[in-house]
Amino acid sequence: MSPPSAPLTPGLASFLKSLKTNPIDTSIDNLISLLKRRQIRHSRSCATATAYLLRSVVSACRTSDASKLIERVQSVGKRLIAAQPREMVVGNIVRRVLGLIRDEAEDDRDGEFNLSEAGSESQPQTPRASDDPSDSLYGRHDGSALKPLSSLAAHPISMFSLLSHPEPEHSLPGTPGSASPSGRSPGHTQNNDIRAEVLDGINEIIDELGQVDDQISAYALDHIHSNEIILTHTSSTTVQKFLLKAAAKRKFTVIHAESYPNNHEATHATVSGTATNDDELLSTESFQKPLIAHGITVILIPDSAVFALMSRVNKVILGTHSVLANGGLVAAAGTRVIARAAKVHQTPVVVVSGVYKLSPVYPFDFDSLIEYGDSSKVIGFEDGDLVEQIDVQNPLYDYVPAELVDLYITNLGGHAPSYLYRIVSDHYRKEDISF
Amino acid sequence: MATADPRLSKATEPFDIVATYNDLLRSDPDLTMPIAAIEALVLLLTHSPSSTISETLDLLEKSTTHLKKSIPNPIGLSAGTDLFQRYLITTLQRPGQLGPAGDFNAIRAHLLSNSRLFIRRAKESRDKIATFGRGFVRDGSTVLTNGGSRVVASLLQRAADEKGGPSAVRFNVIYVLSPPKRNVENTTAEPEGLETVRALRAKGVPVATIPESAVAYSLGKADVVIVGAEGVVENGGIVSRMGTYQIGLLAKAMGKPFYVVAESHKFVRVYPLGQYDLPIEQHVIDFKTQEDVDTAKQQQPANASSTPLNDSEFHPDAVDFTPPHLISALITDSGVLTPSAVSEELIKIWF
Repeated sequence: MSPPSAPLTPGLASFLKSLKTNPIDTSIDNLISLLKRRQIRHSRSCATATAYLLRSVVSACRTSDASKLIERVQSVGKRLIAAQPREMVVGNIVRRVLGLIRDEAEDDRDGEFNLSEAGSESQPQTPRASDDPSDSLYGRHDGSALKPLSSLAAHPISMFSLLSHPEPEHSLPGTPGSASPSGRSPGHTQNNDIRAEVLDGINEIIDELGQVDDQISAYALDHIHSNEIILTHTSSTTVQKFLLKAAAKRKFTVIHAESYPNNHEATHATVSGTATNDDELLSTESFQKPLIAHGITVILIPDSAVFALMSRVNKVILGTHSVLANGGLVAAAGTRVIARAAKVHQTPVVVVSGVYKLSPVYPFDFDSLIEYGDSSKVIGFEDGDLVEQIDVQNPLYDYVPAELVDLYITNLGGHAPSYLYRIVSDHYRKEDISF
Repeated sequence: MATADPRLSKATEPFDIVATYNDLLRSDPDLTMPIAAIEALVLLLTHSPSSTISETLDLLEKSTTHLKKSIPNPIGLSAGTDLFQRYLITTLQRPGQLGPAGDFNAIRAHLLSNSRLFIRRAKESRDKIATFGRGFVRDGSTVLTNGGSRVVASLLQRAADEKGGPSAVRFNVIYVLSPPKRNVENTTAEPEGLETVRALRAKGVPVATIPESAVAYSLGKADVVIVGAEGVVENGGIVSRMGTYQIGLLAKAMGKPFYVVAESHKFVRVYPLGQYDLPIEQHVIDFKTQEDVDTAKQQQPANASSTPLNDSEFHPDAVDFTPPHLISALITDSGVLTPSAVSEELIKIWF
């Protein structure tokens, strides 16, 4: 299914280019195969590709009905997630888009509701005189009496749901009263706006993906102080930008663990400033000067030396692959060792991550989150004899439990791990968590 | 309203909220304390002719205080009475039909006519929790649990059921049984939780029962600890039957996840700072010399022969407090929460 216009190396850039020319179904298949073959692999690349794809899906979906739009996005989302279930950002972006559509649809319905309420207000409220309680309740069932209770029940979580009125959603579709014919027609014109507003929302998500590292780095000076020794791991762009921001004002030392065997080449390149922009996104950003050009001492160490050096380290700053709702995170292999060593030495561990990496998934089964990679990076196939004798595994990720992390810095600010559930509930709708 | 009718007939007698509460708890073994308290308050409103807001609130206030005083451990029930009172006040304050200018009778009618619904919802919330919690019981895992919590029982049974998901989970259960409630009239009582054990075994789940003293020994074989709670307090800790705290400590020490299953109507506005800061009287630690024992024996010579175990040495209804740092997550009907989320839920209804 590779498009004819695709350049030689398929990836994010070629996908985004082909998205403009290809029909939408080809693009969906294209992204699915890219995800399956791991030709798109960094969190942000996946998120960007998903956001752009969903933008095309929404704009190509010629329906004015919000529920059909939701259905369409859900079906595309399901296929994308099935293609690479461990790439949680894909699901996150799909959920946020679904949330956007629901928000817009609800705004719409609220408008309708106000109309119907205004209509029924003019009716005299006769049921009040009735003595039988159930009678008076049912008399109000279609009227405005339900409004305060139903809005209460619409709260995502509330302890009052136990005592609230039965079936609040009854009042939403069931407003066939006086106002509904007049309420319908503006509803339809607004429905066309839904799509435009959802597209605006998706554009905002795309913008957010572009700005997230800069937003996070704005907090750098609060966390990195003069003459501190910072330990970091992998060639995470977010971490590098964070450090660079602080390097503009302060002098400190960075100890960089090389994260062999999956990321060491990129890490070496980052440290020495010879990054060749293998990550497609980097090419568009002005990320040329390495830390050493700012006069920062960078010490490259093998992963095995982390524990030995930890006693001198003032702060550990880590990038991540995805963050989970319980405050734990999935990050490049080796991260847990670093976090554990930091715990032993009581060194603070700070994780920098965009909110888009925050997933509502609860890690029931840690093992299923870990992806295994190319074992030839551990032992090359030239050692053929050895490969036959032993079982070589190369896990790409580590699960780091919440208690090993002291602080998360996202584009919204710093949060304790125990507070992340709140950000999850702010960003994702409850009904979308498992769709 | 079937249960309410006989009581309505003898409306001439003054309404006894404590007796009603106890009756309700006894009549339905599936009823939790907060829900029984809400029910009792609803019945109270049925009996009182009060038609003004302040009169009703005053009545509720008085009866609640009376009820709390008469029950040895009012933590669970105060969750229910608080929720009821806050619901009434919040609904009255909100602008709208039922608001200040609105019709107080409408709220009253809603509460009186829907008491069955509240009970049904409370029971349904267990199903909801079972759905959320199903993911915590993995294939091939071993779950350690204790007590007679109905929510835990329904969660484990749901996991063992074919209906709960694509297929039944194959898991083992280690059930911590505490000695039965033995009192004078009932000497053959069986330990709490044995019923759940039987139900699980009937579903083909292998269950091992161990005494409380074997928790540390057995925990190495368990993958996860799931317990119920009588009340979830403001800081995210739980008040639960005696013995839960030590399981929590041991689970923490062994690095096993410790999950609490509780309905959100059990959240209660209490902030205990430690074991001895609970707003209840329980004489678990009772220092005595031989002299004290002798005087106690002399005072009640009739009872002395009945059991060698002194009453004060055994507390069937005692509770302890498990602090939030021992709890991995709370599985509630509003989702899987971290302990710190509890205070937010409570703040939402109080302020």
